[in-house]
Amino acid sequence: MDFNYLKQKRILLVDDEQEILDMVLSILNEDGFHNIQTAKSMKEAILAANKFVPELAILDIMLPDGDGFALMEQLKSQADYPILFLTARGEDEDKFRGFDLGADDYIVKPFLPKELTYRINAILRRSYKDENPIVKLYNSEIDFDRAEVIKDGEHIALTAKEYDILIALYHNAGHIVTIDALCEAAWGDNPFGYQNSLMAHICRIREKIEKSPSQPVSLITIKGLGYKLIVEGK
Amino acid sequence: MKSVPKLIRRFVGILLLSSILIVVFNFIALAIITAYQSPNGSPWITADETAEALQSIEQGYVLSDEMTTELHKENTWAIYIDNATGKSVWHSDNLPESIPLEFTASDIANLTRGYIDGYPTFTGEAEDGLIILGYPKDSYWKHMWPSWDYRFIENLPQTILAVLAANVLLIFIIYMVVNTKLLKSIKPIADGIQALPTEQPVCLKEKGVLSELYIKINRTSEILQSQNYQLRKKETARANWIAGVSHDIRTPLSMVMGYAGQLESDTHLSDEERKKATVILRQSERMKNLINDLNLASKLEYNMQPIKPKQENMVAIARQVVVDFIDIGIGDKYHIKWLTDNSLNTCIVNANKDLIKRAIGNLIQNSINHNKNGCKIFVSVTADNNRCCISVADDGIGATDEQIEKLNNSPHYMVCDENTSEQRHGLGLLIVKQIISSHNGETIIEQSQYGGFEVKLILPL
Repeated sequence: MDFNYLKQKRILLVDDEQEILDMVLSILNEDGFHNIQTAKSMKEAILAANKFVPELAILDIMLPDGDGFALMEQLKSQADYPILFLTARGEDEDKFRGFDLGADDYIVKPFLPKELTYRINAILRRSYKDENPIVKLYNSEIDFDRAEVIKDGEHIALTAKEYDILIALYHNAGHIVTIDALCEAAWGDNPFGYQNSLMAHICRIREKIEKSPSQPVSLITIKGLGYKLIVEGK
Repeated sequence: MKSVPKLIRRFVGILLLSSILIVVFNFIALAIITAYQSPNGSPWITADETAEALQSIEQGYVLSDEMTTELHKENTWAIYIDNATGKSVWHSDNLPESIPLEFTASDIANLTRGYIDGYPTFTGEAEDGLIILGYPKDSYWKHMWPSWDYRFIENLPQTILAVLAANVLLIFIIYMVVNTKLLKSIKPIADGIQALPTEQPVCLKEKGVLSELYIKINRTSEILQSQNYQLRKKETARANWIAGVSHDIRTPLSMVMGYAGQLESDTHLSDEERKKATVILRQSERMKNLINDLNLASKLEYNMQPIKPKQENMVAIARQVVVDFIDIGIGDKYHIKWLTDNSLNTCIVNANKDLIKRAIGNLIQNSINHNKNGCKIFVSVTADNNRCCISVADDGIGATDEQIEKLNNSPHYMVCDENTSEQRHGLGLLIVKQIISSHNGETIIEQSQYGGFEVKLILPL
């Protein structure tokens, strides 16, 4: 799948240390992001946000004239876009507070450059997925907007449960999703005892997306652990 | 306080036993004394013998020499009264002058049960009269009116029992009244001493008989509280210090990792230069992990990490950890085998999901770190006897029994207050133990059935 359009997104980067700003800027530039505005304080960040209208903000928590949580609330009150915290504060309470306020991710320093770029790309993909709703598999395509599979030109509708399971797999495409996580995605907070139902749904999904359901190539079983969706380009 | 009723029971028991023993002892003593004293019929016998020894002759009466000697020995006088006249027809030589020689019937009745002029008298019946023996004034005491109401005698057993019971009750009441006050003053002391080991502050009213003890207990409590406060302060300061250092080191380490990461993937650099960047990056990562571990271990050690447990499915947690490891790619040398029985889908434990994930992750990472040549890692969850057991085993190089014994029983250098020269093992296993112990569980390190190392995490269901 082509995600180059994501590299054009406007990113606001806020940290009180110039060296960190320089380094993150350099990491993002290297990954293809060039539309970046930096700020070293809350005041600067709010001014920049007004002019620049970012599509993603990366915020430090400890700023000279306030904290990142307050800044996030102000930014969110102006426009709704994804926010990622990049901070040295690694306490669980801080993370929970950030997520409670609606942060999309929380990275504790120190971090690997790749981890940062992977997470930014993931947030952007999730947040701006509407621009590319068709997911290409080996033998079919999934149109999540219309909740249907297109195989050999034929449109096959997905049931609600199949949709929930497939979207959970798609959000983690290329990675194993555990049986428990899939049951939770399909049956909510009390997903115990649905393992057999899950297997039945997986069989039906395979019939819809695979050319040969008994020899799946897109929806792979990882025995005892879970399933993996193989998506083109991932 | 549980010991006070026990104490009272014991005291009352001793009291009742002593009362009964005293009564029994008194009865025995009385029986022995009365056995020696009664029946004391010797004066009456002597009187009868005197009556027999008195011979009637022509000139009157004469007493045998033998009897006369005996009466003299006892300093006893004798008088013989004729039945018909009531007059004395014979008397011994030592008859005091104050003794009349003529007796009316009422005189006879009085002297029979009592005294004549203070002399205790005893009578013996002769053929035609009555022999009266008079003993010295202070030789006998006579009970003059030995008669009781018949019903009194009839009810005597019940009366004795009632009196005894009343006595016991009276003693008990006296005891309770006297001791209740003492027990009342002891109770706060006992409560205070019991509260001391639980680290609760003790504040007793410093008055009363035992006020000195109250004051001492209050002082002890104050000292303990102050020591605890100081210790807690020290521990908090230490944990905060570690948290502060680990926080401050994050930003500079970010720079090191950030630029090293960029250099590692910079195609303009030579392979050798990029390899150096890789080393910097890997070592920085190790530092990062060490800082995180140190911070968590210190917080767990000083109970500063809130556990906030919830009902969690251990099978799902362990499965997620295994999947996370497979997903990040642990290399071809390592294979993780999921050995949990397919029928076990849920195993609910009251736990903190993130901490349990951390513990299982640390164990899998340990197997990877200690088996550079690769190994198979076996992860399983089982549930039995109200316990959930998460096992992480490998078929790697393992450890000797001695090493396993040390890992199970020696304190980690971080929490050891003695010899710190010997660095026993990394923080990973310490954190696992701390996490499991904070969930009231048990960590068992042993030889794996697959030939390597195994750690079992036992959690109560």
